[in-house]
Amino acid sequence: MKKENQKKKTRPNLFLTIMGDEKRQNISIPLFAILLSLIAGAILMLILGKNPIDAYVSLLQGCGLLPKANYAGGKNMFTDFMSFLDIWTPMIFASLSVAVAYKTGLFNIGVSGQMLLGGFIASITVGYSDLPAYVAKPLVLVISMAVGALVGALIGILKYRFNINEVVSAIMLNYIFQYMLSFFILTFFVNPITRQSETVGENARMTLQNVQIGELKTVVPLGFVIALVIVVITHYFLKYTRTGFEFKAVGANKKAAVYAGINDRKNIMLSMSLSGALAGLAGATYYMGYLGSIQPKTLPSTGFDAIAVCLLGNSNPIGILAASFLISIITKGGTYMNSAIGVPQEISSLITGLMLVFAACGAYIRVRLYRAREKRRTMEENEQLTVKQEGKEKEGAVK
Amino acid sequence: MDEYIVEMRHITKRFPGIVANDDISIGIKKGEIFALLGENGAGKSTLMSILFGMYEPDEGEVYIRGEKVEHFSPNHATELNIGMVHQHFKLVSNYTITENIILGMEPKRRLGGLLPVVDVKNADKKIADLSRKYGLEVDPTQKIENLNVSMQQRVEILKMLYREAEILIFDEPTAVLTPQEVEFLLDIIREMRKMGKTIILITHKLEEIKQVAERCAILCQGKLTAVCDVAQTSTKQMASLMVGRDVSFEVEKKPPRFGKEVLQVEHLVVKNADGFPVVNDVSFGVRSGEIFAIAGVAGNGQVEIADAVAGMVQCAEGKITLADADITHASTRARIEKGLAYIPEDRQSSGLILDFSLGDNLLLKRYYQEPYCEKGILQRDAFEKKSRELIEQFDIRSGQGEKTTVRSMSGGNQQKAIVAREIELNTPCIIFVQPTRGLDIGAIEHIHEQILKERDKGKAILLISLELDEIMKLADTIGIIYNGQLLKIAAAETLTTNEVGQYMMGVKAE
Repeated sequence: MKKENQKKKTRPNLFLTIMGDEKRQNISIPLFAILLSLIAGAILMLILGKNPIDAYVSLLQGCGLLPKANYAGGKNMFTDFMSFLDIWTPMIFASLSVAVAYKTGLFNIGVSGQMLLGGFIASITVGYSDLPAYVAKPLVLVISMAVGALVGALIGILKYRFNINEVVSAIMLNYIFQYMLSFFILTFFVNPITRQSETVGENARMTLQNVQIGELKTVVPLGFVIALVIVVITHYFLKYTRTGFEFKAVGANKKAAVYAGINDRKNIMLSMSLSGALAGLAGATYYMGYLGSIQPKTLPSTGFDAIAVCLLGNSNPIGILAASFLISIITKGGTYMNSAIGVPQEISSLITGLMLVFAACGAYIRVRLYRAREKRRTMEENEQLTVKQEGKEKEGAVK
Repeated sequence: MDEYIVEMRHITKRFPGIVANDDISIGIKKGEIFALLGENGAGKSTLMSILFGMYEPDEGEVYIRGEKVEHFSPNHATELNIGMVHQHFKLVSNYTITENIILGMEPKRRLGGLLPVVDVKNADKKIADLSRKYGLEVDPTQKIENLNVSMQQRVEILKMLYREAEILIFDEPTAVLTPQEVEFLLDIIREMRKMGKTIILITHKLEEIKQVAERCAILCQGKLTAVCDVAQTSTKQMASLMVGRDVSFEVEKKPPRFGKEVLQVEHLVVKNADGFPVVNDVSFGVRSGEIFAIAGVAGNGQVEIADAVAGMVQCAEGKITLADADITHASTRARIEKGLAYIPEDRQSSGLILDFSLGDNLLLKRYYQEPYCEKGILQRDAFEKKSRELIEQFDIRSGQGEKTTVRSMSGGNQQKAIVAREIELNTPCIIFVQPTRGLDIGAIEHIHEQILKERDKGKAILLISLELDEIMKLADTIGIIYNGQLLKIAAAETLTTNEVGQYMMGVKAE
């Protein structure tokens, strides 16, 4: 019996080794989720009779990360990449918005509505004005942030004053903004040909259009630089400031935070306002940068994809930068994938959805890994013990 | 060998980093009360969890009624007529007693000969009969949420009896009971033995073992140190076997030197969500250098008094004064800054942020002050320095020092961390609520020493505890609460344990 035990050696488990310890799992689990969803997507494409490798390559080509076979006049990989940055920018802001609320234990599902309202108000106040660009562009940012922050604060007030769950009020507000703004756009600001709102003026546009660089005509998303700065600021804010500490304390354990003298109401309000302000920035770069106009009756999907990004990025600003990069590739590249090899564009949304599902399973994977690692450690310790015992027995024999 | 109903041979169970059970062999005879004694972490619960099928041993074998156990699962254990009352009850609070007891093995009848429905009425009757038979009277139609702790425990016991358990394991059953309730429970246990049941009692209370058990196995750090005949072993011997060294039951307590009143509570009324006064017109004062203890059965309003003083709940009426300042409506933080430290009842849900590091938790009440925070920016160096000091000073043990996530620390060390943080605030008044709940003897000794040390430094201490022993040992003045009212306030030396117990039950009202 005992001999049999000794013979049973621990098998080195490659998977466990790759996934690493708890710290590394912050990165390895999201990567694993991404891998799983890409595999699932590939299977789906095989069923549809398409070559998944071609499809994934075309996703990258569509974003200017790999060269396409041929380009139209004035376009090349660089211009593709610039327009990829254009759509990536609002995604970064929206995901940061979700993350700031999430760290405080709040779920801001109303990012889309806040984007819409922020973008709309900025459009009608500055977008159709003749202000000079150096006044108009900063003003767009300030107005959209202020509008987003007010909506966030409203959700915060409803939460702490009347104990209305923030998810419920945010969804309600989404509907209210969607239909109310659609009324205003269709009544006052509609372009009769496109059936969208009138395009905002170049002076207020956050993305410079048709910039001539040599032979090339490209867009220049000004918001992208701001987004990178905000990522760093948010990271620093959450990690090193007093308010960031209070946010996390309220998010991790509200009761203990209150006990420690932290004002939970103030922090909920502040966090929702900040989250709303970030959503406002997302709205400004989306409606006044990427699109230039607002489509009535539609909420931007960016606000919902941002939840997936936030989950995938562990609600860490740096992680979010990486995760939003990936999700934006899939969203943006989907169009080219459709036209190049005929994979339906819905497949790309499907892959995003799968990523959300697998990322949400992260906690489960973590627990399983924890158990497996425990088991392995125990087995190794058992082994060491028996080895030691053997050694002692031998020593004894020698003596 | 056949005389043993339960036999565990050479059981070894390892967890990462520790050997919870190291080559333990015990045999339990049919119809005896067998006690399992040991400190927290000695491996008692692990050993019984193996018997109840929750863990599989790494080495060794378990025999029930002479037959070797092959499968380890609680379901299989139930089939073998083993039942366990866990330390934390596993009951659904908005179900009735009957519903809880039959859960998982509901008796069915067919409505109109077709539709299968749960036969609650018959079960009610059966449970009422069962409860009378063992002297455990309950009303089977009552909901769990309306029952006190000792009644809930009865339900757990009935659950085992309903499942026809022959071998009953009690995990620390008396931890939450008053002295009178403990007496009652021990009677029930004796009664069950008369009916031929075999009972295993896990505990670290020597008195109870002395009272009911016949034999007792003592575990110390995962090893079996002795199996002794209770009648022939003194409690002192058992205690030293359990701890592995001689222990003194008496704490050294210097004569008190009272100063002026630091905390005054006048006509305090606290209402619960339904507007019912859970604390009703309570007045008392705590002087510096005094330990004022509030004794009472759980749920009589003592925790609400502490919460009201600390600002966690609103007080409906009355006045609270701390160091000559009216703090009745002050914010929680203002109270802390005025000079109030608070060790709360539930260390995991209010005292700590489990997902934060030990360092962050140690500075949870100071993080915003200089030098830990300057101009809104946290000074991580200062955090590190201070938390290392506290860890050293209060002997808080953890895997990775101040960077350890508190969730991964043991209960004793979590409590040490809270005590360290609160004492470090160096406030004139400290509230301790249930400071030693669930801790082992070593940790309890340590916490008691700290409390007395603070008292001798001239702090005003409000101690709220359900452990009467603790109150009798530490208090200078005792207030006894029943139904939200302080029935009696008297100097500790003028009261006997029995008297306090009677006041706690509301029996001896003046």
